Amino acid sequence: MRELRIAAVGDVHLDESLRGRYRERLDGIEEHADVLLLAGDLTRHGTLEEARVVADEFRDLPIPVIAVLGNHDHHSDLPAEIASMLSEAGITVLHDDATVLDIDGVRLGVVGGKGFGGGYAGKCASDFGEPEIKAFVGHTKRIAERWRVALKELQADRRVVLSHYSPVKDTLHGEPLEIYPFLGSYLLAEAVDAEGADLIVHGHAHAGTEKGVTPGGIRVRNVALPVLGRAYGVYCL
Amino acid sequence: MEAPQYVAARVQRALAEDERTHELGIRVDVRGEQLFLRGQVTGDERRALIADVAGEAAPGLTVRNEITVMEVRGPGEEEKL
Ligand SMILES: [Fe+2]
Ligand SMILES: [Fe+2]
Repeated sequence: MRELRIAAVGDVHLDESLRGRYRERLDGIEEHADVLLLAGDLTRHGTLEEARVVADEFRDLPIPVIAVLGNHDHHSDLPAEIASMLSEAGITVLHDDATVLDIDGVRLGVVGGKGFGGGYAGKCASDFGEPEIKAFVGHTKRIAERWRVALKELQADRRVVLSHYSPVKDTLHGEPLEIYPFLGSYLLAEAVDAEGADLIVHGHAHAGTEKGVTPGGIRVRNVALPVLGRAYGVYCL
Repeated sequence: MEAPQYVAARVQRALAEDERTHELGIRVDVRGEQLFLRGQVTGDERRALIADVAGEAAPGLTVRNEITVMEVRGPGEEEKL
């Protein structure tokens, strides 16, 4: 089976002042990768003006583009409008569901969504107490369950999970410990470990590190732009 | 006098919540009369804006803007998994 080259980047946080700047870095991407994954926080404030910049920077690339939104993209309460603007530009936006691409006869399945926080095993929030805490933890639980189902049903030769929040602590190294519960949740990793995948990419932790692994041994890559320091990472499966 | 920890927390909150910035990744430290800002951003304009918002949230302190502007390189080496 042919090797697949997955390009990924998150947290590009585009706005009008950066128009055109990202696009020039994508020149020749088809020579390095078969697909580009965008790991959320594509905008700064989640406005439609910023989303238009994102759509223009990533439209009509020679390779398919798959995206999830991040917390910044939710800030103006317009996630659905942003997602449809990106879709119109030919970008597939995942919302706790899956898509399958055929790349020279190899089926690449991508499951993804924003993810959410809560913290990591043994040091996390639990579904207990005030309704506000239950809502916080419940949001992550429901997302993890949808990912598990999507992975279970996925028919593909290679499986990648695309998230904004981090499923593991490894890739947060460099972030203050106190904010880990806001950076991700182990429930996401648990769901992926249960059904299996070849790679998980995420963003959100700007001060974290690139490489980590789930308890089940799945490779995790933090592709937040400030972590990578390069236009995108490329991972071969 | 207000404890420096509270001033730093207020500046950090302002950077996150002010609609001009919404910046979560800047480290803020108050030392005496000085306010230190450290971290990485994508452009000069943004770097200056962050210092403005921080200064407004902590009037009377001298802002030391040690934020660096990130250089984004080409795609670089691929990794085989
Ligand atoms: Fe971000
Ligand atoms: Fe984020």
